[in-house]
Amino acid sequence: MAPIGSTRFGEATWRAFFGTPLNAALTIAFLGFAAMIVPPFLRWAIWDAVVFPAVPASCEARAGACWSFVVAKSGQILFGIYPYDERWRPAIVCAIILTLLGMSVRPASWTKWLAVVWGTSMAAVLVLMGGGVFGLASVPTSAWGGLPVTLILTVFALGIAFPASIFLALGRRSDMPVVRIGCVLLIETVRGLPLLSLLFVASIMLPLFLPDSLLPDKFVRALVALTIFAAAYLAEVVRGGLQAVPKGQFEGATALGLGYWSTHFLVVLPQAIRVSIPALANTIIVMVKNTSLVLVVGIFDLISSGKAALADPAWPSPSAETYLFIGALYFALAFAFARFADFLERRGANAR
Amino acid sequence: MLGTAKGRAIAIQVLVVAIAAAALYVVGTATAANLKAKGIPLGWDFLFRPAGFQIAETILPYSPRDPNWWAAIVGIANSLFVSVLVVVFASFLGLAIGIARLSPNPLVRGTARCWVEIARNTPVIVLLIFTYSIWWKLLPQSTEAWHLAPGTHLSLRGLVLPAIRWEGAAWLWWMALAWIVVVAAASRIAAWRQAATGVRPPFVLASVAGGLLMLGAAALSASDGIVVEFAEYRRGNFFGGWQITPELTTILVGLTFYTAGFIGEIVRGGILAIPRGQWDAARALSLRRGQIYRLVVVPQALRAIVPPLNSQYINVVKNSTLAIAVGYQDFMTVMGTVINRTSHAIEGIVMILGVFLVLNLALSSLMNWYNRRIAIVER
Repeated sequence: MAPIGSTRFGEATWRAFFGTPLNAALTIAFLGFAAMIVPPFLRWAIWDAVVFPAVPASCEARAGACWSFVVAKSGQILFGIYPYDERWRPAIVCAIILTLLGMSVRPASWTKWLAVVWGTSMAAVLVLMGGGVFGLASVPTSAWGGLPVTLILTVFALGIAFPASIFLALGRRSDMPVVRIGCVLLIETVRGLPLLSLLFVASIMLPLFLPDSLLPDKFVRALVALTIFAAAYLAEVVRGGLQAVPKGQFEGATALGLGYWSTHFLVVLPQAIRVSIPALANTIIVMVKNTSLVLVVGIFDLISSGKAALADPAWPSPSAETYLFIGALYFALAFAFARFADFLERRGANAR
Repeated sequence: MLGTAKGRAIAIQVLVVAIAAAALYVVGTATAANLKAKGIPLGWDFLFRPAGFQIAETILPYSPRDPNWWAAIVGIANSLFVSVLVVVFASFLGLAIGIARLSPNPLVRGTARCWVEIARNTPVIVLLIFTYSIWWKLLPQSTEAWHLAPGTHLSLRGLVLPAIRWEGAAWLWWMALAWIVVVAAASRIAAWRQAATGVRPPFVLASVAGGLLMLGAAALSASDGIVVEFAEYRRGNFFGGWQITPELTTILVGLTFYTAGFIGEIVRGGILAIPRGQWDAARALSLRRGQIYRLVVVPQALRAIVPPLNSQYINVVKNSTLAIAVGYQDFMTVMGTVINRTSHAIEGIVMILGVFLVLNLALSSLMNWYNRRIAIVER
């Protein structure tokens, strides 16, 4: 600890790095390690790298990272196998969803209007992606790919799962044994299973379970698996929030003559959800990352389209660069959301 | 009848049961029709037919002539093997990261912070595929393998470690078992004496130390106790030792990196959860530094650490299924192959779901038992 009153910057810094023998040893060890790792990485990623011109020949000449591949293939990585001439449509879809997410960050914007805007925008997103109306060429879900798939799966899975999770959480606290047991079984089974196995059930088992007339396509099946998975986890978060609402709130609502649904929707749930907002945000980050698993059941998400781009024989297949790019995209999404969750947590702590 | 709350409750529950039964009926008839139309067989006899496919890396003995049920067990063993190793590595690394996050040294703190942020904000599958892709870029041919330590080689062929093998006599196992029984009994007697006299006799420490000494001496005196086998390099191949394929190494490195980041945050939270007053009070009682940690800090930190750690360990078991992304043959991948070869999809998936449910429930009840042991006893 620096002595009180010592405000000289240099001294405090010196103490932080070399204050005790252990600290000095750690500093030297970490610096030595960094000296081994950082310069070769920078040489590969920046000095020896090539960005332009974005043609295959540019990469063969240099020893470093082949960013020109990422530049040349960015359209294919971002939009997958979506028809080339129609790529403006998924681009607009990404812009819509990212803008809406950005707009929804301000707690002041959380009104009924926001729900209306989201609803209409999601309808517009589906029309834009699928086409078939307003003179847009029809594009089947099997041709959807890349970033819009990740965003659509995340937003739709969470959008459907959140209301469902409220009913699951209420059901788990219900006095009716059949409802309670049903909800407990569903929640605990789903939480005990890897998401991958749910995706396999959706892609392999559902075609056996359902008559052909009722069978949705592969994309929707993966979406159903993601939704059920998200609903089970969100239900536990909401239940935690419900448990945090004091009993007096229920008794007060009953004393006012409110019934079950009015008690919950007017009095209890608004308080419960406010308490669980930080945990909800964390679950949302987990879901953003989880959508990446759909590649295993053959949906063309970011990783699959990256792999497809790498298969081009004209290029030297710079896989590390491509996966760094995809990882950076996910990181940007999740990191931004994590900072937002921190903000909400601080705001909640200040409000109390 | 619907006028009373009780009547409504009964009506709702009957409705729920009716809807569930109708859904089951639709699914059941559709499944039967689908199976018949596609000519898919149903039944468990495929388990006893020879598997007929290779599993590249196993910890249990396996050959393609073995039956499918044995292939499944070999797959479960592979999954558990990965999970246990990742849990052990990630726990130690996570502890270090959690402490490093609170270090006064900005360099240490910043490195730990970077680790945690990358692990928490990147999907595991991207981490795994990225690790796998740089594996082929960074590492040398086996002829120019990096010799990291005696008997430890790293190359495109994978990681080669010295194998530690136990070739002792069977009576040593019985001795170890007897030792565990003695330690358990000593701990009970010590607790009973403590309740009666207020002083805890050092029976446990004595029995643990005595047993270790005796076991160690016995293991050394047995002519073929612990054997350390170093890999030999001849004509471009490694022989002997413990050889780990690039796929398994990728899974271990990727999952450990990911899980350690999460555990680091849990450890950090647990340490921060202890109020300063606890340290001051312990010092005021003139406890020594070791005693403060052992009697005051660690027990309270564990209370905040164990429940989230429990879910992290379960997550490791679930995430081990991502081995499929790099081609390591875990339970999920093995069952996928079995399903493809026998087309018993329903039975295969039922097995997958059942095994993971049982594994995760067993793990969480074990951790809950431990959690109850360390929880605050409310009086």
